[in-house]
Amino acid sequence: MDCPYIPDRKLGDLSYKLLEKVGRNRIPIAGSIELTFRCNLRCQHCYVSHGHNGMPGKQELSLAEIKRIFDQIAEGGTLWLLITGGEPFMRRDFKEIYLYAKQKGFLITLFTNGTLITPRMADFFAEYRPYKIDITLYGYRKETYENVTGIPGSYEKCYRGIELLHERGIPLGLKTMLMTLTQDELWDMKQYAEELGVRFRYDAMINAGLERDLEPVSFRLAPEDIIQIELQDQPLVDEMREYFDLRKDIKVDPHQLYVCSAGLRSFHIDPYGKLSLCMMAREQEYDLLSGSFKRGWDDFLAQVRTQKTENERECNSCSLISICGQCPGWSYIEHGDEYTKVDYLCQMTHLRAEKFGFIHL
Amino acid sequence: MQNLNKRYLQDPNMVSRVIVDETILVPIRQNVGDMESIYTLNETATLAWSLMDGENTLEEIRDRIVVEYDVDEEDAQLDLLELIAQLQEIGALQEL
Repeated sequence: MDCPYIPDRKLGDLSYKLLEKVGRNRIPIAGSIELTFRCNLRCQHCYVSHGHNGMPGKQELSLAEIKRIFDQIAEGGTLWLLITGGEPFMRRDFKEIYLYAKQKGFLITLFTNGTLITPRMADFFAEYRPYKIDITLYGYRKETYENVTGIPGSYEKCYRGIELLHERGIPLGLKTMLMTLTQDELWDMKQYAEELGVRFRYDAMINAGLERDLEPVSFRLAPEDIIQIELQDQPLVDEMREYFDLRKDIKVDPHQLYVCSAGLRSFHIDPYGKLSLCMMAREQEYDLLSGSFKRGWDDFLAQVRTQKTENERECNSCSLISICGQCPGWSYIEHGDEYTKVDYLCQMTHLRAEKFGFIHL
Repeated sequence: MQNLNKRYLQDPNMVSRVIVDETILVPIRQNVGDMESIYTLNETATLAWSLMDGENTLEEIRDRIVVEYDVDEEDAQLDLLELIAQLQEIGALQEL
């Protein structure tokens, strides 16, 4: 999956101003929380598919516990909060959770499949507007969409949800997973978004399931096919080149296991109150029901964040390390440890560097 | 001429957050402010905002600014009145 922690530029220059001020200080300015793993869809590629009906023996955070956690992360300095799932609307107390988050002054992004959005829910968001709602499309045609989701009728519900939000002027983004199941309709989905005038993005980086389930991986496109698609997308090509240009003289410490913003500016909380560096890297968790967010952030995640890599790791000498999406979380769910290279990410990086022109200085 | 005996109260539908020394006003409801925006306050404005509790008059707030920042009374007053106008425009204040 794409990394959702980097705030975009849509809100004037405040994001940059704040991020500049944050600098190298460890401030948990962006966080994400999964309210539940439960979902009304049964997507073939889902990375939390084992939790569709809830996790056996595990109790989701209560409303009171979520409120307490929100109090603590607000105190810690969190401004951007991503609320996701599972499907967050599966929580019967969703509105109370959301309103409390609004009252804490978070800028809320909501990830949803859109199928549970009713006119009343859309009115609610019109009154208490989120920073953004991102809806995932699983196809442009009904057959494709419902082949992915496994639920008859979900296609109409999703597109109705989009319309309900759009006609109320609620900040909306559309996205899709680019995979074998959806690839033929990518440009149709993009065009649909453009006609609505909303942002569209796609993500081809299908990761394994959180329980090390490799089923989702079978829906990946080959790196060569992804590059062919990306090369047809001129704005993406420009963006990629701009990014490579920015990264060309960045020195990455190859001995540092985590080189992204996880645990430096961002964190993740799962439905059971487990705090981790991010959605991918969950193998080391801190229980927010037993300790405070401050302790979890200041002590636990700080320690996780500063782990070193294994000395012999082949990536350590790679000239593309500053643009690589290699991630310890991916390594763990694919290989069972945080160090082993994920070949798929490696191939993508090398191909992109070749096709989009990356010259390391 | 603005009445300096007026008192203002922060609108409860505007949340203020202080993050890395930056004071940010985040609207909760649609009818408050421009929802595509959030607002930042400078140091002086942050002090003034914190004093808009329904108790302090504009004159008292102005005087606090003069003392805290060692500025001219007239300048402080002009800045304060401009801030009040801006905060009212985005619906961040209730006039008592």
